[in-house]
Amino acid sequence: MNDMRMVEREVDTKEVKISARDCQVYYGDNHAIKDVNVDIEDKTVTAFIGPSGCGKSTFLRCLNRMNDTIDICRVEGQIKLDGEDIYDPAVDPVQLRAKVGMVFQKPNPFPKSIYDNIAYGPRIHGLAKNKADLDVIVEKSLRRGAIWDEVKDRLDKPGTGLSGGQQQRLCIARAVATEPEVLLMDEPCSALDPIATAQVEELIDELRGRYSVVIVTHSMQQAARVSQKTAFFHLGNLVEFGETGQIFTNPQDPRTESYITGRIG
Amino acid sequence: MTDATANPTPPSAHSGSLLVQDKLTKKRNAAEARFKLYGLTAVSLGILALVLLLASILSNGLSSFQQTFVSLDVELVEAKLDKNGNRNIDDIKKVSTFGYAPLIKAAVEKAIADGGIEIEGLTAKDAAGIVSKDAPAQLRNYVIANPEKIGTTINFNLLANGRIDGYQKGRVTKESAELDSNVSPEQLMLADALKENGTLVKRFNWGFITRPDASENRPEAAGLGVAILGSLYMMMVVLVLALPIGVAASIYLEEFAPKNRWTDLIEVNISNLAAVPSIVFGILGLAIFINFAGLPQSAPIVGGLVLTLMTLPTIIIATRASLKSVPPSIRDAALGVGASKMQSVLHHVLPLAAPGILTGTIIGLAQALGETAPLLLIGMVAFVREYPSAPPEGFFDPASALPVQVYNWTQRADPAFVERASGAIIVLLIFLVFMNAVAIMLRRRFERRW
Repeated sequence: MNDMRMVEREVDTKEVKISARDCQVYYGDNHAIKDVNVDIEDKTVTAFIGPSGCGKSTFLRCLNRMNDTIDICRVEGQIKLDGEDIYDPAVDPVQLRAKVGMVFQKPNPFPKSIYDNIAYGPRIHGLAKNKADLDVIVEKSLRRGAIWDEVKDRLDKPGTGLSGGQQQRLCIARAVATEPEVLLMDEPCSALDPIATAQVEELIDELRGRYSVVIVTHSMQQAARVSQKTAFFHLGNLVEFGETGQIFTNPQDPRTESYITGRIG
Repeated sequence: MTDATANPTPPSAHSGSLLVQDKLTKKRNAAEARFKLYGLTAVSLGILALVLLLASILSNGLSSFQQTFVSLDVELVEAKLDKNGNRNIDDIKKVSTFGYAPLIKAAVEKAIADGGIEIEGLTAKDAAGIVSKDAPAQLRNYVIANPEKIGTTINFNLLANGRIDGYQKGRVTKESAELDSNVSPEQLMLADALKENGTLVKRFNWGFITRPDASENRPEAAGLGVAILGSLYMMMVVLVLALPIGVAASIYLEEFAPKNRWTDLIEVNISNLAAVPSIVFGILGLAIFINFAGLPQSAPIVGGLVLTLMTLPTIIIATRASLKSVPPSIRDAALGVGASKMQSVLHHVLPLAAPGILTGTIIGLAQALGETAPLLLIGMVAFVREYPSAPPEGFFDPASALPVQVYNWTQRADPAFVERASGAIIVLLIFLVFMNAVAIMLRRRFERRW
């Protein structure tokens, strides 16, 4: 019940960071996302919940055009980041992904050293002028990823040698290192134990101060703990979107209520 | 309990003691034992074949690394080699190998006299015949290189005649010499005598690796030098062309190309190309590189181009397989931090695929190294005595190749060439083992990094 403290938390009205209008996604003939309209606010954690296969991950991947890598995937409608259509032909997805970072479900550090894992993004985006700059960025990112103390003595060791929870925090630090404005997280804790999960959640709460965070999760407790806004997806539709406290205590749609009480999904 | 007695459950299919094997289990175990036996038989047959192959090649070919030499003090008579006495190199070059033969004859006679050897029925011509017909050329090359030595007496290690060498290796006997017009029993007796006083010795045959091929009647002088150089040049051409083209093609097809009917067609055709008989590539090379493009015959560049065509499918298939085996999460990770497609491939996918690519490339190269058929068609089968010059001009000079040299030598009549051919196979196998070892080493090294 402690989790429900969210209700009392004051939610400021913030600037809209990403807005989607009539967003449709097709995988070949399969209509995976139907008419999604959502406004994701800046400096807010937005959680996407819903049963498996409801399209929440697909929609998340639309936000930084990771779906471009899937040949049969087609996106219609409008998704705007700071008022600019990210599916405009003039937009280079590479530039977009530097602004909209992503953390994946399975920790996927590069098979390189911890240092190189973090330094890779800043290097290719030219964020550091010299080695000293890069050292600063690496330390700052690892601190923000709440993993600095654990790895500071072995930065030259392979990132793949860390434990699962450490790898995931390393991946978060890697995503943070490129100074994105939005951070997308696709079930970042599904492969982690409760302690590592708690660490990551704490981290997400800290990241909220600087970024707009969008997190897909299967755990409703997690959504309630970390997010201020929650969107419930079902069969490709955005059923309900609102403040987390309201979604979990007073859902407007019967489907949402069935899901959060465990009757569907 | 009352329920149980009222409705007795049917006896379980697995009733019975665990200590006794039931029928089905016995049958299954017997089948497994039989299957293991088949496998073991297959493996033993394979090993037996390999052992027999190696044994036959080694027993025939190892002796080619040993060669019989005659150590003679040859007087380089000035009157014969440099009539004008002015050491003019052009005049010295005018004396052909025939001019050197009498010097060797005299040296053999002297060695016989010095050793106090007396053999009945041995003519002076026969005595000189125990030295290879190649020896005068050996002397001539020495004199041309060192004209100031004319007039002195120098100790030479001259090649013994092939039959004398065969006698030392047990291939020729006094009985077979009776019937042989190329050697007489008296010559063999002389060889025995000279061996006793240390004039005739058997030692390691560097010439087999460094010397060029020799004609039919002097097998003792035949070597692999030109063939090894030719094969080496061809491998250089193949590596320089096939690796970048193959890797670039596979990266494009695997990472960038859209998946449609055209790329499917290309994929099927690449697999088909890998199965095309190699001689077809030879005909292609003959038609395109020699007849159409006008490149010289017997040249390593043409051989290299043909072998490149042959190796490309192997490299492309291996590279694509190793690119496919790189987990997609790595690509996602790179794209997720804002890397472009090319950066994700070059920085992350390619290094992970490198061991597979290298292994595929080296196996393709090894296959190309052992390939004979296409080379026959582009003239690499020619008799080449001149070493090709250093690259890059050397790529256009005539050369031979190791497998072709083996083929050539097996065609020759003199039994001494059987030994040579087997020796050449050993050299070829050593090269292949070396290349495979390098492939394994590279793979281990790259894999161990993380």
